[in-house]
Amino acid sequence: MAAPVRRTLLQAAKGWRRFEGHWAGSLGSRSLAPAAAPLSSGSPWRLVGALCLQRPPLVSKPLTPLQEEMAALLQQIEVERSMYSDHELRALDEAQRLAKRKADLYDEEEDEQNVLLVQDLEDVWEQKFLQFKPGARITEADEKNDRTSLHRKLDRNLVLLVKEKLGDKDVWILPQAEWQPGETLRGTAERTLATLSEKKVEAKFLGNAPCGHYKFKFPQAMRTESSLGARVFFFKALLLTRGDFSQAWKKGQHVWVCKEELGDYLKPKYLAQVRRFLLDL
Amino acid sequence: MAVAALRASARALRSGSWLLGTWQTQIRDTHQRASLFSFWELIPMRAEPLRKKKKVDPKKDQAAKDRLKKRIRRLEKASQELIPIEDFITPVKLFDKARQRPHMELPFEESERRALLLKKWSLYKHREHEMERDAIKSMLEAQQEALQELQLLSPELHAEATKRDPNLFPFEKEGPDYTPPVSNYQPPEGRYHDITKVYTQVEFKR
Repeated sequence: MAAPVRRTLLQAAKGWRRFEGHWAGSLGSRSLAPAAAPLSSGSPWRLVGALCLQRPPLVSKPLTPLQEEMAALLQQIEVERSMYSDHELRALDEAQRLAKRKADLYDEEEDEQNVLLVQDLEDVWEQKFLQFKPGARITEADEKNDRTSLHRKLDRNLVLLVKEKLGDKDVWILPQAEWQPGETLRGTAERTLATLSEKKVEAKFLGNAPCGHYKFKFPQAMRTESSLGARVFFFKALLLTRGDFSQAWKKGQHVWVCKEELGDYLKPKYLAQVRRFLLDL
Repeated sequence: MAVAALRASARALRSGSWLLGTWQTQIRDTHQRASLFSFWELIPMRAEPLRKKKKVDPKKDQAAKDRLKKRIRRLEKASQELIPIEDFITPVKLFDKARQRPHMELPFEESERRALLLKKWSLYKHREHEMERDAIKSMLEAQQEALQELQLLSPELHAEATKRDPNLFPFEKEGPDYTPPVSNYQPPEGRYHDITKVYTQVEFKR
């Protein structure tokens, strides 16, 4: 398992720097507290805060056949147990009057009275309804299967995945950042959010506590006395800004996936831990 | 009364001026009169002068105020008028018999189909509930494990993670609709007249 290196996506063009060098450099430039070891207790684990950014669904899920049947049945029962409405009473009266007029065959009186029949009203309403063009529930991005777009799978929760270059491999992970002394882990996650895109991204963090964790050890080549491995703590956030901001990221570096498609991108053990805290919608 | 007294005295004077006897009676009470020609003193004014009602007026006013206060107190004690719940008041037009639908007997197949569908639905909902419960349980377990790991790793971070987040609530978010929002939608023009009835309960404060 390659070690996650803290790098911004905008600097992805730079080459891979040695983990220890990068760690020391970032510490020296940013942190205030003396940080010989990543943690005050001097344990060999690195702390990483990761961000599980979710786009909540915009559209309700389609009904299953059973649900459709049940909905129809409930509607039927409601109509059966209801009373006649004004519109229906009017329709009944007009039906009676028309029948009488046909039976009696004389139309001297009340010829021009009720020009507007119930049928005409209903037609007018139908026309008005057809004039309105609602938004499409299945978007183009769905049809093209463009996973970088935010405007796909409007009825599901989408999670942001980011491709990071670790060692000599590209790995898909949730966006993360190395923890720095002097900030909380949630602060680390917020920092990750801020560096994701140039535009201001508004997200609602769901509490101070992490929703899951994942720990792994570095490969032998990278282990030192002070860094045995890393522990990643995930924080959930709900995306609030609307609109597509895929232009802010490089092509091929990010992807919005729902829970089923996570398996195409994440490593098995990582996936197993992530799936535990993602609500299956 | 004064006029009648004046008339009586004028008559007495007239009649007395002709007869000697009455003239003598006229002289009878001259000791009480200031002058013989003073009319106004003939009018018996021996009653007390009209008092200015000093004591009785305040008493009457006080009595009136007390009566008013008693009435107010009675009104307050009586139960206040409650705001009517409009949902519980059936509008009168719905009591019309013509509004009721004719009672339809369901055919046997239809009632069977409905019963079976309801059973399938209850099973489906039960399974859905179990799935949701398991999902929530796994989420909670994952969170608890993460918190425990954090505790082992660094207690300060754990303490900060278990703090309440004051910015979390109130959290308002609109739920999913049937269709996504149209980008260039022009809503129809018009004004909004709010005709909701607002009731106020008057509170009598002492």
